[in-house]
Amino acid sequence: MSQSTVPRPPVPRESGGQANKPAPAARKVPRRRGRKDPRLAGGIGLRHRLRRDWVLVAMTLPAVVLLLVFAYIPIAGNVIAFQFYSPYAGDGFFDSMANSAWIGMENFQRMLDDSDFWNAVQNTLMFSSLQLILFFPIPIALALLINSILHSKIRAWTQAVLYLPHFFSWVLVITVFQQMFGGAGLVAQLARDWGLTDSFDLMTDPGFFKWLVTAQVIWKDAGWGIIVFLAALSMVNSELYESAAVDGAGRWRRMWHVTLPALRPVIALLLVLQVGNMLTVGSEQFLIQRTAVGPGASEVLDSYVWNRGIANGDFSYAAAIGIVKGVFSLALVLAANRVAHAMGEQGVYSRR
Amino acid sequence: MPNSRPAPSRRRFLASSAFAAAATAGGVPLLSACGGGGGGGGGQEGAASEEQVRDILPTFQESEVAVAPDIPAENGSSPGYTRWIPEGELGVSVPEPRGNGGEFTGMTPLWGTPPSSGNAFWTAMDEAIGVRMNWQTQDGNTYGDKLGAVLAGSDIPDLVCIPGWELAGQIPQAISSRFADLGPYLSGDAVLDFPNLAAIPTAAWEASIFGGALRGLPMPAAPIGGVMPYYRQDIFEANGWEVPTDPDDFIAFCREITSASSRVWACEDMKWSAFIIYGVLPDKPRYWMEGDDGTLINRYETDAYLEALEWTRKLYEAEVVHPDAVAASGDSTQRFTAGESLMFNQGDGAWHNTAVEQRTANPDFRMNAFDYFGAGGNDPVLYTANGAGIWTFLNKNLSEERIREALEIANFTAAPYGTREQRLRAYGVEGTHYTVEDGLPARTPQGEEEVVPETYPFIATAGHVVALPDIPQVVEDWTGWMKRHMQYAREPLFFGRQVQEPARLTNINDGFEALEDDVVRGRQSIRDMQNAVSEWRRNGGDELRDFYQGLLDDEGAAGS
Repeated sequence: MSQSTVPRPPVPRESGGQANKPAPAARKVPRRRGRKDPRLAGGIGLRHRLRRDWVLVAMTLPAVVLLLVFAYIPIAGNVIAFQFYSPYAGDGFFDSMANSAWIGMENFQRMLDDSDFWNAVQNTLMFSSLQLILFFPIPIALALLINSILHSKIRAWTQAVLYLPHFFSWVLVITVFQQMFGGAGLVAQLARDWGLTDSFDLMTDPGFFKWLVTAQVIWKDAGWGIIVFLAALSMVNSELYESAAVDGAGRWRRMWHVTLPALRPVIALLLVLQVGNMLTVGSEQFLIQRTAVGPGASEVLDSYVWNRGIANGDFSYAAAIGIVKGVFSLALVLAANRVAHAMGEQGVYSRR
Repeated sequence: MPNSRPAPSRRRFLASSAFAAAATAGGVPLLSACGGGGGGGGGQEGAASEEQVRDILPTFQESEVAVAPDIPAENGSSPGYTRWIPEGELGVSVPEPRGNGGEFTGMTPLWGTPPSSGNAFWTAMDEAIGVRMNWQTQDGNTYGDKLGAVLAGSDIPDLVCIPGWELAGQIPQAISSRFADLGPYLSGDAVLDFPNLAAIPTAAWEASIFGGALRGLPMPAAPIGGVMPYYRQDIFEANGWEVPTDPDDFIAFCREITSASSRVWACEDMKWSAFIIYGVLPDKPRYWMEGDDGTLINRYETDAYLEALEWTRKLYEAEVVHPDAVAASGDSTQRFTAGESLMFNQGDGAWHNTAVEQRTANPDFRMNAFDYFGAGGNDPVLYTANGAGIWTFLNKNLSEERIREALEIANFTAAPYGTREQRLRAYGVEGTHYTVEDGLPARTPQGEEEVVPETYPFIATAGHVVALPDIPQVVEDWTGWMKRHMQYAREPLFFGRQVQEPARLTNINDGFEALEDDVVRGRQSIRDMQNAVSEWRRNGGDELRDFYQGLLDDEGAAGS
């Protein structure tokens, strides 16, 4: 992971892809590891490596424990998806589980006929596709823009202003939007004063909602998203720019042939992550605006799980939806990663 | 700036009424039991039969120390107290601490900033009761989420408060499996050991029977008017307006008084009023009525329900509802006090709270509740709320001795208006938490901070009264409103009962509230609602009807 965020040395030639040509050949080497791994064969054994690296191993232990306790062990709780689970049937989780009836795949069958569920799936995919198309490129553009500002004070200011909305809660962001674009908001009031229209209200229009949420996400998080790209940009060797300039390359050519190739691995990585997260578009933003536009327009998978499970106590069904969502998300990550590999990028994990 | 997530569900709506009520300075938190929630019951489905109920209920014995009200009750309306009773005239119901110094943990919701533990108010209460309370307060707005998690675990506090609007999903089952049966301590004459508990009206105890056993310590509620239709009396009087007495006139009137360009809208969401104007049945389990042929008809199947939604839809269509209310954003009470919306529905506790708050901010401010009118020549219908809408339960793992001691806490907090105990609970310690000036109480900053109306009162309170000596006008308006409306009060079927519906049917009503919101905002039609009702019938609604019919037939739970 950490490796992939570091941009590879940019290739000063026209096509960045050519440098990767040897890679496919290397991949054909049998992937079997262990004793036959040439790097280990003549080297040191596991015991020696442990003695050498134990400090590093010890340092990762807390993180591993946290992951185990908060991510891996709870996965076992998913068995309730195959039950008619009641948390109050016994003392504590395991006792309750033991006392709850098994119903097999019934919850999954229920999903097939549940039009609300499919509506949530549809909304989720629409919102995340829109974000992929409209939101994703914006931090890149902003990063390039900020990178081109040389005055350090202006640069710091711009960054601070852009980062700020990220720290606002969704309640606040939506209130700001309501005060601006709601039926009693600034724009509506101006429209009334100028006699344009009496019923301007962007916040309660179900048809407009998909654009509205995308705009909210952009306003809130586009600034924050530039951090990774700025880090990548700071790694670009300035000599490359100099030599490009000496060769007579203008501003745009330098950006196209030096800057963008440097960003490519980061963009690919984030794209894979984004695609893997297609089914997760957040829930708070949609829960708050649920009544304003109705569940038909605003229900997404996560808010649906919240409504079924937490709000209405239908834990088993909510868990079943969670499992389906998890499986499809995993498939999406793998698919996106495969595409990234095909394009010669490292993606989320790299193959040997 | 928003104060909390403004999601507008019924649950949150009632919670906000509880919040307002909780902040009532008068000391009698006036919580609505309206739509008390999704049935109680317990391990097994059904409701307690009348015979069982009679055996379980505690004997009623009037309090000897209670003061006669300044405005007496009429036809079951709540009595009112307009007078501040001087320290010397206060009655005493618990002469000395009756606890043994035991330590208890208690969990209640709390709206706002919780006082720090060990503060002067809690200490004074503990000393007067003779116990040591260890409060674990939780944010009232997300109490339901916390409650679910706490009850699912094994480390449950000794006393747990559960408001009626949190009785959703599987919470009723949890009540039966996690909390003690108080019958052995309170049923029949046993309650006479606790005189203040014996003075709690029987209707409140009746609503505290969960899973066939007396488990809840009740906080009695007003019989009607849990949600009030407020209007800005000052603005109406200045303009010479009168609230119309006909649904169609009402919409026309709203059009007239709305002036969007000057940021004034006639009302907020009036769905709750519409339900009363058209006589719609309340929430489950009291959502059935007997049809002409004797079969049960559900709230969702009635014409009144559709008519009420259609009327509310017209109100929205006329663009007289504040746009922020349409978007379910922000705080409706704030818009009301700012004069941006002139009428709104809110819990009854908001009345006193808002009036006190505005007394300094806007001396001209005056709010009142308008009289309901019926539709099509009919009278409005106010279905009587259950006798209690908030309960505290005792952990079933407590020993007999500890349960008795916990009941002493409840006996103390249930002292009626006009006693030393009630004064301490509602106002704190004189000199520290309040001072008396010109015969009226004034809270000190420390009192504002420490004497929160949550925690102790939620354990149990005396019968519902309107006691607001600091603003007698509100007491008069409120009790007057109740008296005028008692003639429209009607007891629904299954009144006063907690009903545990079969588990597989508990969730079939879930979608209706969101659909109502869709219909009134014009996103779905009345026809869509009708289709949803047909689907509801197929998905278990008819089964549910048979279940309730069975309850009626078997147990004669029809009531009056």
